Amino acid sequence: MRSPERYTLTSTDAMGRKITVTAALCAVILLIGIAVGSVYVTPADSIAIIWHRITATPLPEGIAATDAAIVWDLRLPRALLAFIVGAALSVSGAVMQSVLRNPLASSYTLGVSSGASLGAAIVIVTGISLPVMGIFTLPTVGFALGLGTILLAMGISSRLDGNMENNTIILTGMVISLFINAAVTLVSAIEREHSQRLIYWQMGSFQGKTWSAVAVLLPICIACTLAVSRFNRELDMLTFGEEQAKSMGVRAKRVKWVLLVVAAALTGSAISFVGVIGFVDLVAPHIVRRIFGASHRYVVPMSAVLGGGFMVLCDLAARTVVPLQELPVGAVTAMIGAPFFTYIYLSRRKGAR
Amino acid sequence: MDNITVGYGGEPVVRGISFSLDKNENICVLGPNGCGKTTLLRALAGLLPYGGSVQLDGKQLREMKARELSKRIAMLSQTSGIYFSYSVFETVMMGRYLHMRDRFFAMPSERDREFVERCLRAVELHDVAGKEISALSGGQLQRVFLARTLAQEPEVILLDEPTNHLDVKYQIELIEYLKEWSREDGHRAVGVLHDINLAMRLTENILLMKDGRAAALGRAGTEITAGLLREVYGVDVVGFMRQSLRKWEQYGAGDAEGGRVETS
Repeated sequence: MRSPERYTLTSTDAMGRKITVTAALCAVILLIGIAVGSVYVTPADSIAIIWHRITATPLPEGIAATDAAIVWDLRLPRALLAFIVGAALSVSGAVMQSVLRNPLASSYTLGVSSGASLGAAIVIVTGISLPVMGIFTLPTVGFALGLGTILLAMGISSRLDGNMENNTIILTGMVISLFINAAVTLVSAIEREHSQRLIYWQMGSFQGKTWSAVAVLLPICIACTLAVSRFNRELDMLTFGEEQAKSMGVRAKRVKWVLLVVAAALTGSAISFVGVIGFVDLVAPHIVRRIFGASHRYVVPMSAVLGGGFMVLCDLAARTVVPLQELPVGAVTAMIGAPFFTYIYLSRRKGAR
Repeated sequence: MDNITVGYGGEPVVRGISFSLDKNENICVLGPNGCGKTTLLRALAGLLPYGGSVQLDGKQLREMKARELSKRIAMLSQTSGIYFSYSVFETVMMGRYLHMRDRFFAMPSERDREFVERCLRAVELHDVAGKEISALSGGQLQRVFLARTLAQEPEVILLDEPTNHLDVKYQIELIEYLKEWSREDGHRAVGVLHDINLAMRLTENILLMKDGRAAALGRAGTEITAGLLREVYGVDVVGFMRQSLRKWEQYGAGDAEGGRVETS
């Protein structure tokens, strides 16, 4: 017989190991993402370059200035952005799945992505540029419409159903999402000269992303993820259903609103910079739950780490698999993710218990 | 509670129900499907707005903060599906939510841990504290939820058909445990149980409902008569029970005459 304290202790040890391994793995992936490309810079040189730029000391002998420029100006911001976007999408997916008690729920199904696509379509077709925002016009409009869509979905479902049942929210979100998608398709059919750019936006890409995107997105994502972490316990309890959570003292409806909006903001801000990227928000949280259990104390941070690492890997594949050509990263996430997901899900299920 | 009316917007489902419950007393709400038992219970749990007056020790329910209410009144429902699995210990710890939320980072204190352990011992699940709840049997899972409800340290437990899907042994054990629980510290239980036998095992204090109204309130055998039960349920309940009893008597007398039923 094992007492609960003993159990908690051993489980913490095992958990610590798992976390360390996962984090180390993701760090390695990040480093490979920086080193590998059309020009190969050794990982050691990459680290040296980054170290010298951060500490503002001159480069050591033997490292070409062009290599330094590639690593610092192109690869590092791009890899970091991929990591941040992957982390944001995964945390958002984990929250949506738990709050709505639906393993298939995500910002994608609730219309955030289609709203943002509509915003992108408007900006691309009309070519408008907001004052002050400048190059951030597209992200801003995309974010606003993405968030607007989910607020609309939640507003309508609270009208339809005072209790805001999960299924009402999901169904309303999907209907609105399909509707807006149709509108985007219409726009790209009519405005043929812009349709190529629009289609590419809807498949997502990290091409040509610089530090400015990282500088905007990083603080948003950290703030939103911390906000989500504040609700770890409530998230745990909400997975048992709103009524049980309420009876344990959770202000379920309020918490649900806050979490859904924060999750939508995470997705909205991430995809507004890089275009629509699906799948990672669905897959990463499920894999994390398989490995670390369902407690949100682990699910939220580890979804961020794993999702981030996964996205860096996908971007690496997107820009290296076919020489001299960039694949849309949104397609790569699904191509790599789907078989991997199936493998993890099925093998764990067979192995455990 | 006095002259309670509850509805889901539009026509009220429950009308004009009144009863009072002393400390260390239990009451069972009986009635056919759709008579409003569960609706009444949900109003008592603060999940539905109500008309009329519900007081707990002289304080109006609707004037209580949601937090105070869920600290004092807990609900044990029938087991629902589990979407994501937690360990038994983690699940029961969720019952301590309100007790630890004021603390920094809402970390469980030593007292929370001890209390959870005590609850696990009470339902005899301390051996499996580390197990995932998705790996438990239905009976064990319901006991986890009972432990979680106990971990809330409520004064009142509302039972929403918690014995559904349970084996007869666990049904009896659950009811016996709650009976014992309600004997101490001014605890009270309000039960909605489908099984009339189990309900009467918990208490003979009964509220009989029909079509959202009280058909009778009182003790089994005095206020609650055979004729009334037949009228409310549309079937001769007492006759049916006696018929069943005759069948069971073919097995010879059990050892539980008038006393506790042994469960092992």
